Amino acid sequence: MDSDPLSRLPHGASFRFVDRVLEITPGTRVIALKNVTVGDPHLQGHFPGNPIMPGVLLVEAMAQAAGLLLPDGSSALLAQIKEARFRRPVVPGDQVRIEAERLGGLGPLHRFAVKASVDGTAVAEAEIVLAETSQVTSNAL
Amino acid sequence: MNDIVQRVRQLLATRLKLAQTVDEITDDTPLFAPTGLGLDSIDALELVLGLEKEFGVVIEDRAVAIRVLTSIRTIAEFIQSQGKG
Repeated sequence: MDSDPLSRLPHGASFRFVDRVLEITPGTRVIALKNVTVGDPHLQGHFPGNPIMPGVLLVEAMAQAAGLLLPDGSSALLAQIKEARFRRPVVPGDQVRIEAERLGGLGPLHRFAVKASVDGTAVAEAEIVLAETSQVTSNAL
Repeated sequence: MNDIVQRVRQLLATRLKLAQTVDEITDDTPLFAPTGLGLDSIDALELVLGLEKEFGVVIEDRAVAIRVLTSIRTIAEFIQSQGKG
């Protein structure tokens, strides 16, 4: 396995929402961290004077963590977000712990259960389907 | 077999967002063909995970999925052939 699991992600620095991997069981389960800081550019406007990490970016962070469980060398796009819940705001200073578990898959599709927490308190959860793009030709079975 | 068919029907009704009610679908209605329900690959994954949870049958191979997920009847026959249900 690569010494830095994050190097598997295709995202550039400006759109990377996972900072560190704590534990990974390849293809099965990963625990990763995202540190939210006041300098995060997307917090400037969301909202001025009241910075809150956008829920959609929490989902992106959860999807990126899940992406660490894809087969080596694959890239993927979001195909489905199910049962997403946002339980409390994430603000600068929070360290978000993201835990993703692969539930199963079919062909290029992989489904994950992902939970995000701050200091042991749940902040968000979702089920996410990623589609490996190298294999996707259409959305037909 | 009838019981399995009913449980597969229930699974479709609860897991998928169908345009019609499950009562309007016959056991032989094509699930994925455009002439049938026109389900897509994400629906297929939903069904595969649902079948694993409900019946304990595992489908990981896409070719097997295409064969098994043809209709309610083929799904029920597969479950029975696996000694499940």
